Amino acid sequence: MTERESTLRAALRKAQAKHESDGIPDFDSVWAAAEREAGAALRRRGIFAGVAVVAAAVVLAVGVLPMNLSPTNRLPTKQQDLRYIDTDELLETTRWSAPSDSLLPEHQFDIYQEIPVLIESTETYGGALL
Amino acid sequence: MRDNDGLDKNPHISRSALAAIHSQVFGWALSRCDYDPMVAEDLMQQAYVELLSGKARFDNRSSLQTFVFSVVQNLARSRYRRIASRLRLLQAAGAVDTTVQPKEPHNNDALWQAVQELPTQQRDIIELVFCRDMTIAAAANVMGVTTGTGRVHYDRAKKTLRAKLTEYGVGFDD
Repeated sequence: MTERESTLRAALRKAQAKHESDGIPDFDSVWAAAEREAGAALRRRGIFAGVAVVAAAVVLAVGVLPMNLSPTNRLPTKQQDLRYIDTDELLETTRWSAPSDSLLPEHQFDIYQEIPVLIESTETYGGALL
Repeated sequence: MRDNDGLDKNPHISRSALAAIHSQVFGWALSRCDYDPMVAEDLMQQAYVELLSGKARFDNRSSLQTFVFSVVQNLARSRYRRIASRLRLLQAAGAVDTTVQPKEPHNNDALWQAVQELPTQQRDIIELVFCRDMTIAAAANVMGVTTGTGRVHYDRAKKTLRAKLTEYGVGFDD
């Protein structure tokens, strides 16, 4: 560094000192304020995360659970299975067979009425109709 | 650096080390906000919050002073970017007068005035090197430019300063 630069540096420091010497805030007070703000920011993040978790839980409860509880997805209850059992029939006879109808779908169709056109083939394979 | 006062989220920084450079940081913060002490204190507090929360993480790649100065510099930039964008919005809404009012110099000290009139980058590097005892490389790091660019700003700043001081009749010749 040249002598000119050294002189300039000294003069500039002196000039700058006038502007910076007054009103330097106490480190402890600034630090304490910063700690409070950092703590508050942390709490805000915690609250935000909590709210996000609760919101996610509410969305799940509102959106997913009713879907599972809809009649099509609901598992058959014992009461529903019992509707296929005729109590009188059971009491009047010593024979009993399992209510296999409970395994069938609720809609029972008449194959002759509801499917009038049967698919037929006139081609043979090994002497038999396909 | 004492072992027991390191920050939780910034273990390489201690409270006592920050206290030691506090006045330097305040000076730098002051020069970032046109010497408004309230804004400077706010900037400094924000910088400490960044260090406490670990958002700005010090890993000993530079000196602590260089690191904290660069945190203050970034905060000041983002602060003024925010203010500028709000001003643009207000201007667009016709709520503020867009004419720039000339500022009065802070005092009549010719040297100080000459430095304040330098272009921003030149003024910053002169302040960091001359007043904060930084090397050009460290100053360039704080300013977010390469060392080569820092040297260019430094050389230009010295030439401009010399011309201005001659103009003001202040001599610093050998």
